[in-house]
Amino acid sequence: MPAGIITENLSFSYSPGRRVLKSVSLEIHPGEKFGIIGPSGSGKSTLLLHLNGILRGEEGSVSIGGITVNSKNLPDIRRLVGLVFQNPDDQLFNPTVEEDIAFGPLNFGLSPEDARSRVSEALAMMNLTGFEKLTPHHLSMGERKRVALATVLSMNPEVLAFDEPFSNLDPSMVMQLMEILRGMESTQVIVSQSVLPVIALCSRTAILKDGKIVAVDEPRTLVRSRDLMESCGLDMSLYRNYCRDL
Amino acid sequence: MKIVTAFTGIVVIVTEPLSADPAHFLLYLALVTAVVSVTRLPVTYLVRRLLLVSPFILMAALFYPLSVFISRKEFFAANQEAILTAGAAILMKSLLAVLLLVLLSSTERFHRLLMALRRLRVPAIITTVSALLYRYIFIIADEALKSSRARDSRTPGKLRTGRIGVIGNQVAVIFLRSWERSRIVYQSMLSRGFSGEFPDMVDMHLRTADIVFPLLFIALLIAVRLII
Repeated sequence: MPAGIITENLSFSYSPGRRVLKSVSLEIHPGEKFGIIGPSGSGKSTLLLHLNGILRGEEGSVSIGGITVNSKNLPDIRRLVGLVFQNPDDQLFNPTVEEDIAFGPLNFGLSPEDARSRVSEALAMMNLTGFEKLTPHHLSMGERKRVALATVLSMNPEVLAFDEPFSNLDPSMVMQLMEILRGMESTQVIVSQSVLPVIALCSRTAILKDGKIVAVDEPRTLVRSRDLMESCGLDMSLYRNYCRDL
Repeated sequence: MKIVTAFTGIVVIVTEPLSADPAHFLLYLALVTAVVSVTRLPVTYLVRRLLLVSPFILMAALFYPLSVFISRKEFFAANQEAILTAGAAILMKSLLAVLLLVLLSSTERFHRLLMALRRLRVPAIITTVSALLYRYIFIIADEALKSSRARDSRTPGKLRTGRIGVIGNQVAVIFLRSWERSRIVYQSMLSRGFSGEFPDMVDMHLRTADIVFPLLFIALLIAVRLII
């Protein structure tokens, strides 16, 4: 059973007086695919960084699978939560795909042999078998995105947190990634400005605006609340009009 | 083994007295050239790298005779040949040391060198900082490329006015962007359990040839130094 996530009254600011997260409380159930949507600068990525303990709130708490995140249990938290960054170039920093994917498992104490078998498994899951010795920065954006996901899958995390997983992907790649995510049993938190994939993938979604949770509901219910969506900078009328034409 | 060989070679050559017979340096050069031929590195590649550091090598070689010439003219006049020989020795020592380092860095991938240094018990802080520097060089180069493309796309022909100002602004922006990206890369490393040391998974097995040839090279260098 994968771990669930609870944030209670989580607040954070990068500089004094400018709160990016304001008393955020959320409960994400084990195994749930949970979306977080909102306009740019609403605090989505900042919230995601709290799940892995990269940032820690000034107030409130985050707990993963019943473990409250603090400075002493960061290795356990990072083993539980895999974070996939928006830009794969930020995630891939080793000279070969194999070393990048093995980086996490080796850091968590696996032997090189075990790390290698994790690399093979993760690459097979991403349909990238044979890419081991390639240089990550010579791959296409879609391939780099999949390698970035493989770097996290190799750690067998119970929670997967994605920052804008669908950005810079062509429609077929979006479909492919959605299928991969659908097939995984882990708890998934997907932060995205691409509302449509979130509707298709997530069972519940939160709207974040100015660092506050404005609504949590089934994505279709949220999207039907036109006033709410418009007031949060998530106007869907463009999609609606075009979809009608199509 | 390559690292040990290169650094032992450098120590043997650099500790040669300044008054040493110039034939010693020619023998060292012959030995290093033999290694170059084995590596099959293009000569132009080596020459280009040597040219990059040549100003520093020339400075080191010229400063000693010049400083004696300026400060102790009578001493210089009396020992002109010895002092010029010393200058030539400094030139050869620097040249050979740089050549060995170029050979080392060109025949082995950087991350493998760092792993080998770690296994040789070089402090982790040095190898980790080097690894981060190496990674961040590409980030800076990437940002510089993007920034240059953005500038060129809005620059018909050459920059006309305020060239230095534009380049200055560009450097500042590249620095800030690289800073930001480096921070995110570091966060990504932390999120995957990075605790200050890069893990090591590359197998490094020494074959007989990996031991015999470096030992032979070192033995020949020491023979030139001590026997000939």
